[in-house]
Amino acid sequence: MTSIGTGYDLANSIFSPDGRNFQVEYAVKAVENGGTSVGIRCKDGVVLAVEKLVTSKLLKPNANKRIATVDRHLGVVYSGMIPDGRHFIERARDEARSWRDTFKTPIATADLASRMGGYLQAYTLYQSVRPFGITAIVGGFDSTAELPVDGEVGSGPSVGAGGKVAGKTHGGPGLYMIEPSGLYWGYYGAATGKGRQAAKAELEKLDLGGPGGPALTLEEAVKEAARIIYVAHDDDKEFELEMTWISGSDGPTKGLHQEVPKALREEAERLAKKAQEDKVDE
Amino acid sequence: MDHRPQAWGRPRDDVYGAYDASYLQTTGPKTATQAPVVTGTSVIAIKFKDGVVMAADNLASYGSLARFTDVKRLRPFLSTSIVGFGGDVSDMQFLDRHLNELAIDEAYEHDHAETPSPSDDSTTTTQPPRGQLNAANLHKYLSKLMYRRRSDFDPLWNQILVAGLDSASKPFLASVDLRGTTFSSPSLATGFGAMLAQPIMRRFAATEEDAAKLTREQAVDVVKECMKVLFYRDARSLDRYSLAVVTKDGVELREDEQLEKQSWAFAERIRGYGTQTV
Amino acid sequence: MFRNNYDNDSVTFSPQGRIFQVEYAAEAVKQGSVVVGIASKTHVVLVAIKRNAEELSSYQKKLFPIDEHVGIAIAGLTSDARVLSNFMKQQCLGHRLTYGRNMPVRTLVDMIGSKAQINTQHYGKRPYGVGLLVAGVDEQGPHLFEFQPSGMTEEMVAFAIGARSQMARTYLEKNIDKFAECGRDELIRHGLRALNESLVQDRELTVDNTSVGVAGAVRASEQDGGSIAVEPFQVYDQQDVAAWIESVAEDKEGDAGAGEGGDAAGEGMDVDS
Repeated sequence: MTSIGTGYDLANSIFSPDGRNFQVEYAVKAVENGGTSVGIRCKDGVVLAVEKLVTSKLLKPNANKRIATVDRHLGVVYSGMIPDGRHFIERARDEARSWRDTFKTPIATADLASRMGGYLQAYTLYQSVRPFGITAIVGGFDSTAELPVDGEVGSGPSVGAGGKVAGKTHGGPGLYMIEPSGLYWGYYGAATGKGRQAAKAELEKLDLGGPGGPALTLEEAVKEAARIIYVAHDDDKEFELEMTWISGSDGPTKGLHQEVPKALREEAERLAKKAQEDKVDE
Repeated sequence: MDHRPQAWGRPRDDVYGAYDASYLQTTGPKTATQAPVVTGTSVIAIKFKDGVVMAADNLASYGSLARFTDVKRLRPFLSTSIVGFGGDVSDMQFLDRHLNELAIDEAYEHDHAETPSPSDDSTTTTQPPRGQLNAANLHKYLSKLMYRRRSDFDPLWNQILVAGLDSASKPFLASVDLRGTTFSSPSLATGFGAMLAQPIMRRFAATEEDAAKLTREQAVDVVKECMKVLFYRDARSLDRYSLAVVTKDGVELREDEQLEKQSWAFAERIRGYGTQTV
Repeated sequence: MFRNNYDNDSVTFSPQGRIFQVEYAAEAVKQGSVVVGIASKTHVVLVAIKRNAEELSSYQKKLFPIDEHVGIAIAGLTSDARVLSNFMKQQCLGHRLTYGRNMPVRTLVDMIGSKAQINTQHYGKRPYGVGLLVAGVDEQGPHLFEFQPSGMTEEMVAFAIGARSQMARTYLEKNIDKFAECGRDELIRHGLRALNESLVQDRELTVDNTSVGVAGAVRASEQDGGSIAVEPFQVYDQQDVAAWIESVAEDKEGDAGAGEGGDAAGEGMDVDS
């Protein structure tokens, strides 16, 4: 590697002569060793999935969850250094809470992504800290209906909140991916971790970004997410599949970030395994 | 001698030296809430064999003005407990937001709730995860919060009833007020209700044993009767009210109840004020 | 000699994305004597080998009660463990004071996880040089967690950390399917057998060098609310562990013939010597 031995890679926040921060690039390496994470934004919600490598037979099955809820309507999945991911989640929860304290309303997915992007970026600025060794995928569903303000106990003015444009819709599903540098983009389908290349190739085949919005439904997305994790998985290692989803208030999760029901997950896994086998047969 | 009124009662300069005026604060002492402003009146609740019934009217008064008439003063917590607020309405809203955040934090502890499959929808409310904050835990928390605020000389001006189940899944009912005082009893009432409703409720549930014999219907009837008495006698009350029943199946909350079968005949016989001539 | 420039502090990634200081801290855990933990449906046990610095000195304690329902076993720097232990005790007491309930075990473990993670991301701090097994019961039942210096915390069915703990883990992996249904004593005996596997050739379990800790959770029937009655975490030392040690020693002797010794009462054998 060209970076080694130059001395420019020995501390965070140092630019090399060609304008790179090597410590951030090394942090990305930590992500690339982690289990694959996938997020899919579809017509009526968001699905998050992660491949959890089983590092020991002594781990309690299905007890160590990797996808976390932030507020009620947001989910976070990440690849890379797991303790760093826990830190990320704690910070995201603090941000969501302080947003509610200030604005008396749940934080939007885009706003959380922005806040967390800023937080991660700050960890690339100083020699006294190191960047986060994770890439996080944030999914959420911002309510499309008019929400009561937190602490509202009466009906309030009959005209509702101001600042509205007639005919303009609000909210909907959101998906963002935040890298160790603090860079973040919105995505139709996002993948990170060891199997990201294969996963991205599969995501690109899905109908997620058409002119009329994504065509894929939530249940289809669950099945695709499971299949993609199986495709991206390196065969000889055992793993657990963890999946969560978020729909609008009229969907199965009623606007909440929840775990995909066991029956649906198992069905998705069955189909994923079958697809794998069919491929081998070809 | 200085005879100006400003010097009256002050130590004499010639005896004690000049007074150090820096001790005089022009801003006055720090003050916090010293009186409630927009207020809710009584909250009443009674235990029965499977749970607790609670009620409070939908009025928020501004002094003697019936200012807001659709204010919901019974607030569910985690769909397993109910919190009823008397006293200052803005402090109630503050607490409501605070409890909402507490509920979100509590959900993090029990993360990974699975989406119930659609076929379960027909059955009754789903059981909450084990170990979630119950009404007893919530009351303990609120009592610490209220006591802390009074010790900071910045009390939250409320009388609060907390109803639900305790860790042994037995009906739980307790109160906490702006001073952090806690109290528990088979029936409880705040404000005017403590004088007018409590004696009536005690006729039906004087002891825990009595309460454990009451059916849900009996308890609801008692509470409705009490709400009626309170509307007759309490000038800061309303005939629209909220009624909550909390059992192991969760909270059933109706926020638009109307007092039924009122009879104001007794008013004819009241003497001693108003425009009567006899 | 090759000089690794990336291992001087915990805020420098190596070109492969590793943080050597954290990995070195994990080595400190392997310097400590072995501790084993196992959870069943009703109980969770911790067993440990204690070391003494010299013949006449006392043995370093390995098991510590945290709260009524939680205890820990430590391997690595004892003084770092005390920092974490005091922190956990305070959190549990604070939780009991404000909510009037036992702190959920996962919540507690996540707290020390976050605390440890901070030490791996800031210059001037060092990772904790200790690994823990955290055993506890809450409304969900018994739990066993492993805590690593990196801040990683994972719930396990059974686990062992410390010197030569791989042998104990191998034993646990072999028997993992049996643990769920084990009773209290049977679970302890599995722990001691795992411990035995990790001992060096001429050492054996004695009442002086062995500690046992147990917590339990008995669930009331659904009609009675289904709540958990906690058997508080308790540490057993010296003569209190004699019967358990004997009973595993017995089935070891009979091992050549009978395989598993079952639940020998542990009587008739001389405890001394």
